[in-house]
Amino acid sequence: MNADEIQAIFFAECEESLDAAEQGLAACRAGTHDADTINAVFRGVHSIKGGAGAFGFVALQAFTHTFETLLSDVRDGTVAITTPLVNLLLRALDTLSDHVAAARGLGETPDDAALQAELTAAMAANAGSAPAPAPEPAPAAAPLVADDDDEADPMSDGDFAAMLDDLTGAFDSPAEPAPAAGRIVKVRPHAGAMRNGSEPLLMLREMLDLGATCVECDVGAIPSLDTIDPGTGYFGWTFRLPADVSDQAVADIFDFVGDDCSLAFGDGAAMPAVRQPEAPVRLVQAPAPAAAGTPAPSAEHTAPGAAMPVAAAAPPAPPAMGQSIRIELGKLDKLIDAVGELVIAQAMMAQRLAGDGLAVTEELTMLEGLTRDIQESAMAIRAQPIGSVFSRVPRILRELTASTGKHVRLNVSGESTELDKTVIERLGEPLTHLIRNAVDHGIEAPEARLAAGKPAEGTLTLSAEHRSGRILIRIADDGRGIDRDRVLAKAIEKGLVAPDAQLSREEIDQLIFAPGFSTAATITNVSGRGVGMDVVRQNVKDLGGRITIESEPGKGTTFTLTLPLTLAISDGMVVNVGDQTLVVPLANVVESLRPDPSEVKGLGANRAMINVRGRFIPVLPLHVAVGALGAVERPEQGVLIVVETEGAGRAALLVDAICDQRQVVIKSLDTHYRSVEGVAGATILGDGRVALIVDVDGLVAHSLADIGLCEAA
Amino acid sequence: MELTPTITLPARCDRAAAEALLPELIAALGSGALAIDARACTQIGQAMLQILVAARRTGEGAVIQASAHLRDTARRLGLDDELFDDAPLGGLAGERA
Repeated sequence: MNADEIQAIFFAECEESLDAAEQGLAACRAGTHDADTINAVFRGVHSIKGGAGAFGFVALQAFTHTFETLLSDVRDGTVAITTPLVNLLLRALDTLSDHVAAARGLGETPDDAALQAELTAAMAANAGSAPAPAPEPAPAAAPLVADDDDEADPMSDGDFAAMLDDLTGAFDSPAEPAPAAGRIVKVRPHAGAMRNGSEPLLMLREMLDLGATCVECDVGAIPSLDTIDPGTGYFGWTFRLPADVSDQAVADIFDFVGDDCSLAFGDGAAMPAVRQPEAPVRLVQAPAPAAAGTPAPSAEHTAPGAAMPVAAAAPPAPPAMGQSIRIELGKLDKLIDAVGELVIAQAMMAQRLAGDGLAVTEELTMLEGLTRDIQESAMAIRAQPIGSVFSRVPRILRELTASTGKHVRLNVSGESTELDKTVIERLGEPLTHLIRNAVDHGIEAPEARLAAGKPAEGTLTLSAEHRSGRILIRIADDGRGIDRDRVLAKAIEKGLVAPDAQLSREEIDQLIFAPGFSTAATITNVSGRGVGMDVVRQNVKDLGGRITIESEPGKGTTFTLTLPLTLAISDGMVVNVGDQTLVVPLANVVESLRPDPSEVKGLGANRAMINVRGRFIPVLPLHVAVGALGAVERPEQGVLIVVETEGAGRAALLVDAICDQRQVVIKSLDTHYRSVEGVAGATILGDGRVALIVDVDGLVAHSLADIGLCEAA
Repeated sequence: MELTPTITLPARCDRAAAEALLPELIAALGSGALAIDARACTQIGQAMLQILVAARRTGEGAVIQASAHLRDTARRLGLDDELFDDAPLGGLAGERA
């Protein structure tokens, strides 16, 4: 594992830590002030600090240090949890998130001086007094200017050079007023603390930052030059701590290397023993720096995690992360691809066997079941809870509150609903836009809300749930609803609809998705982010999803996103239409039927409706839409597949025959050919032929517009 | 005192440098005090510090020409006496800093 990979893990863990802290603070805001909640926030910030120190992200570390100090006061109960404080902590969290992004090279390092001063002012030590500058000039900028001959080396991410560069500066900084009396701590870094680019001296630097001074360095364990192992930690340092530094603060510094650095507190404590790397893993006992009979009064303890006797000198096992492992995404994608091919191969074999008259064999059924199991498991690996997208929402709302002055309460449900990682990744942008839209245009200003008899604070409800093989995401606000008169007027003004057009409410709602109907120009003057609702709809469509609107004037608007769980495999109905074989996604299919001639009502030359249990549904000859030759033309001669569409209600697709219902592996047409209206993709059939997958929504909407029919509902 | 060829330390004395230079230092043992030129050193980690201490304590010892950075790091971490002949009087350099 190289330094880059370790750093990648660090950043992944940063994301988790930020999420955890965000959730904790959200709970605080909602009134949960218990120790567990505060601790969760503290731990999140603390673990980022640990990694930042080890990788030498000085600005990040300095900020987390200040942040953490305040959190520590909150945890200890010396600073009371108030709404302004929680808001301050939330702002600090946003800045911390920017710092992490900057450390990743994804943005500018934020200017946090003012915020640091605010955080510092909020600390217990400064309560009541005037805001002071940062308490201990945390290794912010100072160390960058190394005091020796070196050129001022700009921080290049995690670069060892940069990390060590600032050592000198740090060693220089505070040590002056060495408190005469103070407790003793003995530090012995082991091999693990020196591995993978980790450097014990950087942690010692942090200790010196706290005001510790070196009493002595025990070099007695150093062997002669010809037997020394550069990877073993031989030094043992004795430091004297200032009275106001707790043992925990010191232990926290070494938290990041856990067991790889032994600590012993107290004057009488013995120096922890050198740990030879050859020591067999299993035999290592709790790294008791067992020493000459002095049961140290304040007991030596190794950094957290030391209680576990495992993995002491073992290869640097990643810290226990529950029952999960990190896998490179590329490997997963390969697995998914292979599973896709497996599904195809299985289908081909079934077809071949059927050709030999062996259609139904127990073995084949078993294989089919197993294939489906494997596919579901493989998909489940890629599935992630949608909470990772939802967790970004509070920040978006805070920013919107700052820019619009509208306070919005967030209700979230179903955040554990899982869907494919690709879908999750591509969901962020449309969701963000819909939320901005809801706050910008939907939720009214506090005065207007009060005047309308609503609470001043708006409510945004986010929910996710599984429904029949798809996922439903709802973004609902309790704002003013869509002002259809204004939307229509705007659309007429923009030439999107004819001035005398008679549009239904739903049709007017759909206008906001029209290209050119950009939010910047409509209804309110906010927005202007360069993304219109048409892009949102396109994003959702690209994901194979649909978006619908329900809006009630004065009550609010709900956007519903219907998305597939995965983009790779879906269930489809294989149908014959003349000389072509097509796949109709099962998600759209309501039923299939062979119509009685009496149920079909012809409407002119090529239009027909079918009466399905008292409800007339337009018949759509699929062969016309796809240009197939030799197909059945009369509904009563073929099979009608009743499909449900998002925009155009129900329709009955006329096909010659249904051949099969099976899983199909979706191959994108866009990547292999180009996007085709009415076609969602292609798949490979059991006999090796390619079949087009019908984009039911697009095809029905398009065809019905052509022949001038719609559901007589 | 006969001096062996001088072994020069790089600017960046991290663990990799320590591992790379250790064989050279061992090879130079046995012909008098080692001469180590660390004047270019602007960064130093624990591994190299340990090797320097080991060099001082092995055979006829070592004479280290130090950069300001190395001197300073050694002083802060209580290794001044251990590494340099001309260390300021008194052992507890760190406490006095």
